[in-house]
Amino acid sequence: MSTDTKPPKLPVTVSKPTPYTFDLGLLLANDPNPLSLPASTGPSLESSLYDIARDGTQSLINQLLTTLPISSTPAGVLLSLPGPVTPLPREKPVPTPKPETKWAAFARRRGIKPKTREQRRNLQLNPETGEHERKWGYKGANKAGQDEAIIEIKHNSKKELERKEGTSIRGDKRREIRENIKRNERRMRRNERHAGQRK
Amino acid sequence: MLRTVKPKTARSKRALEKRAPKAVENPKKALFLRGTSCSQITQDALGDLYALRQVHAKRFQKKNAIHPFEDASSLAFFSEKNDCSLLLFGSSNKKRPHTITFARTFDYKILDMLELCLDGESFRSISQFKTQKVPVGTRPLMVFAGTAFESPVPNGFTLAKSMLIDFFRGETSDKIDVEGLRFVVVVTADEPTTAENSDDPSSKAVLRLRVYTIQTKRSGQKLPRVELEEHGPRIDFRIGRIQEPDEAMLKEAMRKAKTNEERTKKNISTDIMGDKLGRIHMGKLDLSQLQTRKMKGLKRERDVLDEAETVVEEAPKRKKKVDI
Repeated sequence: MSTDTKPPKLPVTVSKPTPYTFDLGLLLANDPNPLSLPASTGPSLESSLYDIARDGTQSLINQLLTTLPISSTPAGVLLSLPGPVTPLPREKPVPTPKPETKWAAFARRRGIKPKTREQRRNLQLNPETGEHERKWGYKGANKAGQDEAIIEIKHNSKKELERKEGTSIRGDKRREIRENIKRNERRMRRNERHAGQRK
Repeated sequence: MLRTVKPKTARSKRALEKRAPKAVENPKKALFLRGTSCSQITQDALGDLYALRQVHAKRFQKKNAIHPFEDASSLAFFSEKNDCSLLLFGSSNKKRPHTITFARTFDYKILDMLELCLDGESFRSISQFKTQKVPVGTRPLMVFAGTAFESPVPNGFTLAKSMLIDFFRGETSDKIDVEGLRFVVVVTADEPTTAENSDDPSSKAVLRLRVYTIQTKRSGQKLPRVELEEHGPRIDFRIGRIQEPDEAMLKEAMRKAKTNEERTKKNISTDIMGDKLGRIHMGKLDLSQLQTRKMKGLKRERDVLDEAETVVEEAPKRKKKVDI
């Protein structure tokens, strides 16, 4: 019967005097053997090129299938490739880490962590009324008492003695907040400047 | 130079972030453009290379009056404008018929350039081969054959190899489907001849670029038998002019970003049983305390006596030193 005669085994190994070198991350094989190509162009050259190509591809595929871990998944049979070894130039410089700002350095020294989401929330419990109120903004707790109908003035207090011309206790709180914001922005700018210098 | 702009919208911010320098880089984009005169062969070759490079490639249709080896500033400009770090410039004139100039940029400045002159007679485009074409975006296998590529000193061949690897490597991934090993790019370099130094380009060694599709057959063994079929293009190159990379720039370009991957610790290994073995440095052994054979003559008491005598003799000498 014809099914009994097995087809002849096709050779799958490649033997060359100098072994191939591989970079499997790039699917690359180097064949360092000296070539003897026919001088004339034409079918003889193409067939010898074909032989070189076939041997190279065969050994590369052998190397890929034998040395790399294979996993079969529903998506297909996957080969895990190693990282490329051949040095190739980058297209852009290696990113440099941003210079640390003065504040960031201070925070790191003191172990200050960024505020959590809960801390950043604009709601807090007022223990006196037992209700939640805003920390800032409309009806914010930082403005409490600024718009009362009657505000007591302490005549001999430092604030009253150093009061600027044309201002009164009305709007004092607002002015204070504005000043704070400005001071903070000034510090931020200075901090950026410092960070730029300390490269 | 283009203006460096601060992004005003989230979308432009994302776009700028995409082209910012990264520790693990995007695949290089290739830009295909042509000079004022460009023969049909060169255009076909560029088109075929573009087809192989698809997804990470961009092609210009209009003519550009650029002479890369005289003034490459336009190429650098196009590189920055299009965020392409690999440029292929095709041109053709009487002195240098059918040339493709490969240029690579680093940080949008020209790193190196290599001029490859096609052989017009032996060129065959993809469409001239009646094989099934590989799908777009498939990664090719690469084979570089010939002693010329193994040169320890950088020359035209090693530069060409580096360029072509960069061109064909596509997107590097850590996993690949076995079914995705569909085609192979084979570059063969003729043996360098003695007439290498002469200026006549026709005497120079040839790089032969062939692209084959891979067919695997059952061999009756575990590994398959590989057979190839030519896919095209078939291009024979001669190496023309070269612009070597600037050393400082190349050094910067070859730098590797620090990764979080742990380095393998030295002197620690595991044996077959899975036990951890360490090799440590013990310092110098103090052999003076070594217990040797006990004999009456080697008793310590006698040693001590001898030393005491010598100390007595040396003592006045030390005193003298102190006086001075």
